[in-house]
Amino acid sequence: MEGAADSGRAAALARLLHRDCTRLLQLYKERESFLSQHAPGGERLVTLALCPEALSTGEQVGHVRSALRRCMGLLECLIVREVEEMGEELEGEYESLRKTVRDRLGHLLHSTGALLEEGEGGCPPSPPLQCTEGQDEVDGSDSFAAKRWTYRVLLELIHWTDSASQTLHLFHSEKHGQQQQQLL
Amino acid sequence: HLQFNNKRLNANTLEPVSPLNVFMSRMRSDIPEKSESFMFPQDKVVPVGSNMTFCCIVKEKDDFKEMMYGRQEMSATRLSRRTYAITVTNQPASGNTGTNVICCSQRLTLTGAVVFVGYPPGDEGLVCETRDLASAECSWKKGRDTRLRMKRSRTKYTLNGRDCLEANERKTWWCSSKVWEESWTLVARNPLGTVQLTDSAQLTDRVHLLAPVNVTAVEVEAWSATLQWSWSVASYKKLEMVCQLQLFAHELSSTRNYSGPGLSSVVLESLRPDVDYTVTLRCGSKHSFWKWGNESAPFRIHTKMDRPDALDVWMWMDSSNTGRVFWKPLSVRKSHGALVGYEVSQSSAEEDGRTPVSLPPGNFSYPIILNNSSDITVAVAARNPAGLSHVTLHALSVISFPVDSQLSVSELLGTNGSFVLSWQPNVNASSGYAVEWVPTGCSGLCPVDWKKVPESDCSFTFLLISDSLVAGVRYTVSVYSLSTGALTLLQRWQGYSQEMIPSQSVSKLSPIQTGSDVLLSWKATAMEHQRGFIRGYTVYLANAAHLDLIANISDPEVQSYRVKGLSPSFYKFVVKAYTSAGEDAGSTVDIKIEMDTADMLFVGILVPLGIMFCCLILISICCYKKREWVKKAFYPEIPGPKVPGDWSSPQGPLDVKPSPHSLVHIVENPERDFTKEGLFLVPEEEEESENDNIEVDTDSDEPALLRYYNQVVGDGSHSNQVSDSSGSSTASVGSTQTEITYAGIQSPTSSQGACGGGGYRPQMQSVAGPAEPQIEFEADFQDDGLNTGYKPQCSWQLDSPEAENFSGSLGSPTSVTSSQFLIPESSEEKPQPSNTWFHNFLSGKS
Repeated sequence: MEGAADSGRAAALARLLHRDCTRLLQLYKERESFLSQHAPGGERLVTLALCPEALSTGEQVGHVRSALRRCMGLLECLIVREVEEMGEELEGEYESLRKTVRDRLGHLLHSTGALLEEGEGGCPPSPPLQCTEGQDEVDGSDSFAAKRWTYRVLLELIHWTDSASQTLHLFHSEKHGQQQQQLL
Repeated sequence: HLQFNNKRLNANTLEPVSPLNVFMSRMRSDIPEKSESFMFPQDKVVPVGSNMTFCCIVKEKDDFKEMMYGRQEMSATRLSRRTYAITVTNQPASGNTGTNVICCSQRLTLTGAVVFVGYPPGDEGLVCETRDLASAECSWKKGRDTRLRMKRSRTKYTLNGRDCLEANERKTWWCSSKVWEESWTLVARNPLGTVQLTDSAQLTDRVHLLAPVNVTAVEVEAWSATLQWSWSVASYKKLEMVCQLQLFAHELSSTRNYSGPGLSSVVLESLRPDVDYTVTLRCGSKHSFWKWGNESAPFRIHTKMDRPDALDVWMWMDSSNTGRVFWKPLSVRKSHGALVGYEVSQSSAEEDGRTPVSLPPGNFSYPIILNNSSDITVAVAARNPAGLSHVTLHALSVISFPVDSQLSVSELLGTNGSFVLSWQPNVNASSGYAVEWVPTGCSGLCPVDWKKVPESDCSFTFLLISDSLVAGVRYTVSVYSLSTGALTLLQRWQGYSQEMIPSQSVSKLSPIQTGSDVLLSWKATAMEHQRGFIRGYTVYLANAAHLDLIANISDPEVQSYRVKGLSPSFYKFVVKAYTSAGEDAGSTVDIKIEMDTADMLFVGILVPLGIMFCCLILISICCYKKREWVKKAFYPEIPGPKVPGDWSSPQGPLDVKPSPHSLVHIVENPERDFTKEGLFLVPEEEEESENDNIEVDTDSDEPALLRYYNQVVGDGSHSNQVSDSSGSSTASVGSTQTEITYAGIQSPTSSQGACGGGGYRPQMQSVAGPAEPQIEFEADFQDDGLNTGYKPQCSWQLDSPEAENFSGSLGSPTSVTSSQFLIPESSEEKPQPSNTWFHNFLSGKS
């Protein structure tokens, strides 16, 4: 019963985090006017080449968790960069929600890590992210490139929190079904 | 001693961006080897209002749509195959993250740049001071916002060449220095410009003390307290300083200043007992005072209680041997602590011992009874936890002036809710005067109030204003002179602080009718309802919708009024009393004026009689004036019969031969012998007998007889029986001036008449001229020819209620136009109804 409850809480947290990330991107678009009309192109920032195609739900959870860990690294780099540029004097809704997403993403990583330690396999941990990675893709670290990179990070957050929500929901359903069968 | 110099360097070190230079340097990027999209310049910091050109090089095979500056679409100029450019003029200040400039295709944002538009530093007002008598703190005002938020474009500060960490890292506007320097220079720099501020001063001139700490109160008493504190900087102990204490109590504040070297304690004097004080403290350098230091945290002091102040006592006698001693409640300021009660003691000259009575704090009076003593002394004191107040002795000599004293009382007019009192000073008023006011007529526990007035040599004009004065209440105001052990009544008034209209109307309003006069009398309302001095009364006569003033009685002692000359009717009177504030609602009384007996007799009888008499006089005069006409109208001249022969001979029967012009148609009977039978006088007695036999005669074969009656009106002699026929005919026929007429001429037979079938008719209208009667007569016959036979005169019988007696009137003169006997013989005994006579007279009925 405890495993099902944990998976349920993790699924709910993933859904909440997905809504937060969607809202965070909305606030960012309001701040940066160019994003409201034409989305900048670019490749995905988070890919899972290290993890083979998951077969079981538990393995999919581990797969998603690896992506979330990568997103967490990108988000922390994003915060460091914005604070470095803008300082901490700005305390608007965007800055507040940005901190909330980071905290809840940390909780989700911890929750999914606990689920995987209960017997489910997981992907090997990714190497630590360097904040300079991917930021100088085109023409250096100018402010516009940083804004485009921030936008892409937020898109990755939305994508992987949505994946985590669906996978954890499925994982929770399976756990719940298994426990029901054990009870019967 | 405030000396500092600020210098500001306005430096615009930014070189203008030349679009041409930019293009020349960047156009080299438009080469096939560098196929990605990019824009330049990137991350430029430019001042507000500047112009700038942005260039976009589009990726190979990407379609270009437009360039945007912020949210504004710009018109791009194509410079080469892949290069487009826009120029923005008069740029506004950027937002927090700069202004985005993008180059986009139909669907995607291809590339972009960020430009930061702001202002150079605007800092000003550098001031340096010391807090610890050694180091320095320099502060300034930020000035205008540069709008440059990015870290690399923020303003950087240096103070005397050293980086100002407080300002650069913590975004404050002050810098500190461990040592005091007599001159200071602050440089503020950002990418758009530099500002330099300077200040110079001696350390002792810029002492800004820190707040005292550990403030505490020692030796708190009822009227004083000692306050102590300490300093966090040891060097303050030798500094000559001035300290300011602020005391807050009951929303009132007071400020006290103290000075001394290294001041750390003061004694607060003139505090009040049992009061909560809140104390704050701040200090500054006494010499070369710069500014007050920081204020200490508030500290609370509660002083101790003390004995209450002496009470204000007054004694009021409501009779010769009873009264009450009053005292005013003590205010918080005078009670010096919550009162627990009062103590009253009474002593007289005969009895030295006092018998104190304790009363709870809610009591403010105590009854006094004199026991065969002319002078008594009453002592009243208040008690609180700290002790008993000073005893107030009140020696009573006012026994001579109780409230019902016969001292003359004058009227006192109030002004706007107050009284203005004036009296002459009294030599015995060694302790001043006392003004006492109490509702007039009050007895028992009355709201007595008083006020002590200090002694003065000149005459007094005292404005009595008190919350206890109620509008519309009559007060008795007394002034006493106060001397040791005695009170002397100087003057007494009665008045209203503010007059109002009476609350009740006059009472016992009654009317008394005397002939056509009405005496209204009333009584004034009770004094408590007058609510002002009654200045008089107004008497109104109430009509349908309004009141008509009929009297204004300005003397309030007059309480009656006589309304004269009223005609019989229904009257409603309203009597109102009025004060200076106006009239009351009024009392109403109704009365119905009726005519007395004499008047009714006069009006009911004598007046109609007089009117009738006047009418008769007028008719008589009119008839006299128009007598000719009346004669013609009512008594036309009857033509006399023309008799041939000598009528003077009395012998022989009267041979009457009808004249063709006579109105009387005589039917002759040739067979009759006039010598035997002819016109002869018939005595009335016989006529009466024959009258009953008229019909018999009609049917007889005797020749018709013309019965001739005559009678002279008003001559009784002529109406008598006349045996002499000549005399009779002369009087009847020959008279045209008399009112003789024919009546009752009847034909014995109708069938034998010369007029054919028509019966005989009375002469209907004889007013015609002498020549006309024949024609008229014949016409009547013709008209009546339609009828057959003789018709009795019905109208006679109908109109005459005594038709059965008409035979008795035969022989009486009759009207030509009427068959009715004008003067019946029995008229005196049996008068005909006037209406019947008049009706026949007017209608002409026979």
